[in-house]
Amino acid sequence: MHEVYTHPNSQAQFRRAAKVIPSGVYGHLGPAEGCFIPVEAFPLFSDHAKGSYFWDVDGHRYIDYMCAFGPNILGYNDPDVDEAARKQREKGDCTTSPSTVMIDFAELLVDTVKSADWAFFAKNGNDVTTLAIMASRAYTHRKKIVFFKGYYHGVAPWTQKIDYAGVIEEDVANNIYIPWNDAAALERVFAEHKDEIAAVIAQPYMHGNFMDNELPAKGFWQKVRKLCTENDTVLVVDDVRAGFRLDMAGSDHYFGFEADLICFCKAIANGYNVSALCGKEFMKNTISSMSYTGSYWMSAVPFAAGIACIEKMKKLNCPQILIDKGGQLKRGLVKAAADYGYDLRVTGVPSLFYMRLADDPTLMLHQAWIAECVKRGVFFTNHHNHFINAALTDADIAETVEIAREAFEAIQKK
Amino acid sequence: MRDAKTLAYINMFAVLGAIPTLMEIVPEAKTILGKSACSVGIAVKGGPSATLTFASGHCVMKEGCEDCAIKLPLGSPEKFNGMIDGTVTPIPSRGFTHLPFLLKKFMKITDLLSQYLRPSEEDLADAEFKKRSTTLMFGVIARAIVQIGNHDKVGMASASYITDGAVKMAIENGPSAAILCKNHHLGYSKKVPEKFTSYMTFADMETARDLFDGKINSVATVGLGGVRIGGMVSQVDNVNRILDRVALYLA
Repeated sequence: MHEVYTHPNSQAQFRRAAKVIPSGVYGHLGPAEGCFIPVEAFPLFSDHAKGSYFWDVDGHRYIDYMCAFGPNILGYNDPDVDEAARKQREKGDCTTSPSTVMIDFAELLVDTVKSADWAFFAKNGNDVTTLAIMASRAYTHRKKIVFFKGYYHGVAPWTQKIDYAGVIEEDVANNIYIPWNDAAALERVFAEHKDEIAAVIAQPYMHGNFMDNELPAKGFWQKVRKLCTENDTVLVVDDVRAGFRLDMAGSDHYFGFEADLICFCKAIANGYNVSALCGKEFMKNTISSMSYTGSYWMSAVPFAAGIACIEKMKKLNCPQILIDKGGQLKRGLVKAAADYGYDLRVTGVPSLFYMRLADDPTLMLHQAWIAECVKRGVFFTNHHNHFINAALTDADIAETVEIAREAFEAIQKK
Repeated sequence: MRDAKTLAYINMFAVLGAIPTLMEIVPEAKTILGKSACSVGIAVKGGPSATLTFASGHCVMKEGCEDCAIKLPLGSPEKFNGMIDGTVTPIPSRGFTHLPFLLKKFMKITDLLSQYLRPSEEDLADAEFKKRSTTLMFGVIARAIVQIGNHDKVGMASASYITDGAVKMAIENGPSAAILCKNHHLGYSKKVPEKFTSYMTFADMETARDLFDGKINSVATVGLGGVRIGGMVSQVDNVNRILDRVALYLA
C-alpha cells in the first residue's frame, strides 16, 4: 500500500502566493482552472523533476501524466537536450543579432514536418495560433474564422468567447462555431458565407476538456481539406497539444491530409520555451509582410534544445513509443477499474489519453478516484487529456496501475 | 452593457423576489406587516409580471398578476427599473381601497429590504444583521443568475454551454439553492434536489460576504479552500461567468 500524501507546505506556499499573485497560481496549472477537487488532494508547487517524475514542496514524488501540460516529452531534464542547451548558453542566448542556430532549427522542422516549407518562431502556442489567424486574414482579405466546438486555441481575445472576462463582442464577431466531425455543417457555412471565410482552424482531433475525446470520422479531414481548397480558405491545424505525440511529420500527416499552416509548441523542445508556425510556400510572403515579433522570440538556447529534442524524438520514433506506452497504461487502468466494478472510458490517441469514469454522470465519482490517485503519487488530472513521456518505464506503468487499484478500493470504501 | 429588460427581470424576481425570505428571517418585517393581508401585482409592459401575496406574517411570489388586490402597471422595463430606484412613482390601476397597505406596509417592507441588500458598515457590525443580509444577498444573487442566463445576451451565451442538471449553490451552515438547467434555460429552486449534478459551496458566511462584496476573488478562493467546486465543473464554470455579470446589474 502506498503512503497517502498531505500537502501542508503546498497550501502554505499557496497562501503566500495568493497575497502577491492574482489567484495564487493562475491558468491551467492552478487549482481552479486545473479542477483540483478537492484542492487538499493536490500538490500546488513543484520542487524538482527528473524523467517521468516530479517532487512537490512537501517532498512527495509523483509519476507525472500531465508532463507540464505537454512540454515534457522525453522526460524532465533530458541529458541530451539539456547538454545542447548548456552549450548554446555558453555561446549566447538573447543577443542583438540572432544565432544561426535559428536557421538550423527551421531547416530541421522543414525536413521533419510534411506540410512545412518554412518555420517562424515565437514563444507560446497562443503566439503562433494568433499569427496563423492574422496571416489567414492578410492572405485572403477576409474576416471570418470557422472553429469546431470544444476547441482550445489559446487565450488571445479571438480564441475566447463572448462571456469571458475582458472579451468584447467585436473580438468574436467573426467567429463561426460548428460541431466537430460535421463536414456537412462546414459545407453549409461555406455556402452561407461565400468568399467571407479566411480560415478554418482545428486541432487534429477533438481533445477538448470535460468531454470524451473524439477522433476524426473517416474521410472528415479529407472533406475539410477539399472544402478549404475549393473556397480559397486557409486550413490551420493547431498541433500545439498533439504535436509530435502522434507523428513526427505532424498530426495532419498522421490523419492523411496537409494543412496550410500548422502550429507547434509544448513538446517541440522538451520544456525549453519556443513555439513555431510552419506552413506552405504560398503563405510565406504573407507572413513576411506582417509586423509580428517579441523580445525573446529569437533566443538561441531554446532553438538548440529544440534541435536536440527533435533529433532524439526522430531517432527514438518517439510518437510510436508514446502511443505504445499509453496503450499499455490504458489496458492496465481499464482492467483495474473493471476488477472493482467500474467502467473507465479512455479516449483519444493513447499518447495523450483522456479518462472518465462512466458510472457517475455527475463526474463526482471520477473526481474522487482521481484525488485518491494523486494522494498516492500518480499525478492525473480530472477533465483534461493526459500526456505520456518517453522516460516512462514499464515499472512506472505497473506502479500506476497498482495505485489506481488502491484508489478504486478507497472510493469503494467511501 | 446593462440591458433594461434583463434588469427588470432581476428587479422583479431577484430583488422583489427576496421579500418572501425577508419575511421569514427578519422579525421586523413581520412586525411591519402585522395582521394585514393583501396582494400587490406588478405588470411591466414588455417585461415581467408577478404578484406578491402577504398574509399571516408571510409572503409568496407568483408569476403573473391576474388575481392581485393592488395592480401597479409600468409602461416599460425602464419605468419599472425607475420604480425600484425610486425615480418613478407607479400609479395603481386597481385596488385604490388598499392604498394604505401599499404606502404604509409594502413601502416600509421594501425599504427594509433595501437596508439589508445595501447595508451600511455600521449595520454589518451587528453579526445577526450581517448573517441575515448575507442570506438575503445569496438568494438575490442566485435568482439574478437565472434571469441573466435567460435574458442577457452574454448571459444567454454562457447558458448555451450549460448542460442539463442542477447546480447546487450553498454557504456552509447557511442558505442553499439550486440553479436548474434544462435545454439551456435556467430556473431557480430554493430546495436543492437530492441528485444535483455540480456544486459550488462557500466555506462560511464571511467568505460568501467577502466574495459578494468583491473583497476576495473566487478563483483564488478555490485554491484556498474557501469555495468548493465539483461535479460537472463546466456547469459551475458557466454559472460563474453569469455570476460575474451579476455585479454589472446589481452594483
